[in-house]
Amino acid sequence: MSRPAILVDNVSVRFRPYVDRKPTVRRSLARLRHRETTEVNALTDVSFSVTPGEAFGVIGRNGAGKSTLLRVLAGTLRPDDGKAVTNGTTSTLLQLGVGFNPELSGRRNVYLGGLAGGMRKADIESRFDDIVTYAGLEEAIERPVKTYSTGMFSRLAFSVGMALEPEILLLDEILSVGDESFRGKSMQAMRDLLDRSGTIVFVSHSLASVAQFCDRALWLEHGRVKQIGPAEEVVEAYQKAASK
Amino acid sequence: MSALLTQSRSRLARTSTYFRSLWSRREFAWYLAMGNLKARNASTALGLLWWVINPLLLGLVYYLVFGVIFESSRDLSYLLSGMFVFHFTSQAMTGGANSILQNSRLLANIKFPRLILPIANLIEAGVGFLASLVVLYAVAIPSGSADLNIHFLLILLIIPIHLFFNLGLSALTARLAVPFRDINNILPYINRLWLYLSPIIWPIEFMDRMSEPIQRVMLLNPMWSIVGVYRAALLGDPLEPGLLATSALIALGVGLFGIGTFIKYESRIVRHL
Repeated sequence: MSRPAILVDNVSVRFRPYVDRKPTVRRSLARLRHRETTEVNALTDVSFSVTPGEAFGVIGRNGAGKSTLLRVLAGTLRPDDGKAVTNGTTSTLLQLGVGFNPELSGRRNVYLGGLAGGMRKADIESRFDDIVTYAGLEEAIERPVKTYSTGMFSRLAFSVGMALEPEILLLDEILSVGDESFRGKSMQAMRDLLDRSGTIVFVSHSLASVAQFCDRALWLEHGRVKQIGPAEEVVEAYQKAASK
Repeated sequence: MSALLTQSRSRLARTSTYFRSLWSRREFAWYLAMGNLKARNASTALGLLWWVINPLLLGLVYYLVFGVIFESSRDLSYLLSGMFVFHFTSQAMTGGANSILQNSRLLANIKFPRLILPIANLIEAGVGFLASLVVLYAVAIPSGSADLNIHFLLILLIIPIHLFFNLGLSALTARLAVPFRDINNILPYINRLWLYLSPIIWPIEFMDRMSEPIQRVMLLNPMWSIVGVYRAALLGDPLEPGLLATSALIALGVGLFGIGTFIKYESRIVRHL
């Protein structure tokens, strides 16, 4: 078997309640004396692996730990226990337009977003026209991004994210980007990525698109793996449980 | 013994990996800083002119109070030189705290050496500082209070020293502001107190009136040596012996401490945002 693109091994993430409250000196002092010991288990003993060329779906209710899992995969959140390894350049589209500054022009934001994602300025320069054409924003590229419609903003952000030519793409609920024709284009871009044996991890509440698009899926419940297997089976089981 | 050696070697390797990835992201730091600069002034009528107007107004306010009313400051260029140097440091501190807190989306989504954010903030404040030096000369040269001489070359040494000092403080406030947002409330008072304790709005001769123990404490103030060297460089004031070495040592200590504390903490930042 080839080397997995993503390997998650017994990952647990615990948050202390101060994540939800603004930390203050008083609470921190209390914490030092171990008075506040309640913990929230965001992820418990999660293990799975994803092979190159695979589209992997993650489903579950709000608060099941889906976004936490993606952050662990993106490497921005270090798990308390266990290990998560990704092999390949990773692009995260967990939220659209990360690193964008709405006051600045579309052109400047292409650079900002690309540099934030780890591209070099020279690479962005050479791909600039493609990025703009792909997003369909030739006319508006010199305008401040705050004047863009939601669809325009999403298209630009998606286009910049794909320009990284990632081997692993982490997506959070953004397939609904843009209008019908752009949605078709973005689906095509992701199929191309899979054909190049890229890997996609895809978190969504849209069960239909997970069943249709993903090979396998993971069902998270209260931070634990409830079921893992072929996407259609997992979605079906999830739907059955939800309708009960 | 050999275990200790292996441990320190792997720590060294980690540190060098960190700084290599920091260096490979330098374009990102630059674009972040320039983007913020541009965005900040994009919607104002005077735009980039504010980078000159702000320090000028700042200097004039203090000159009105301490130069004209209290007559405690020798002359405008003495006041402005100290003011601008201090302002850069205080901006680095407040901006450092905000650089992490205001970029939570970026931090949660993308992995990169977090020191990029305080560095970008420092670049941003540094541009303002350079603009304020233009203002300083616009005041000091016509009034004849700048005696430009060979000491000007000291600028090549004191600017890197000052930058490293500021980066250390900026990284330190950034690190502290994540678990203790209270820092943002306290910082303005710390800065105010520090300004009043520094030889900026009052002349150095004031020192003679202080008692011996207070004098000794006053000399521990890093601004003492940093501002002193700047004044020698920019205005041609005499350079007291040891001042340059003192400023370099302090900057090295503060810089290494701040950066070290920050890096050690940075993997935990996302949990607190």
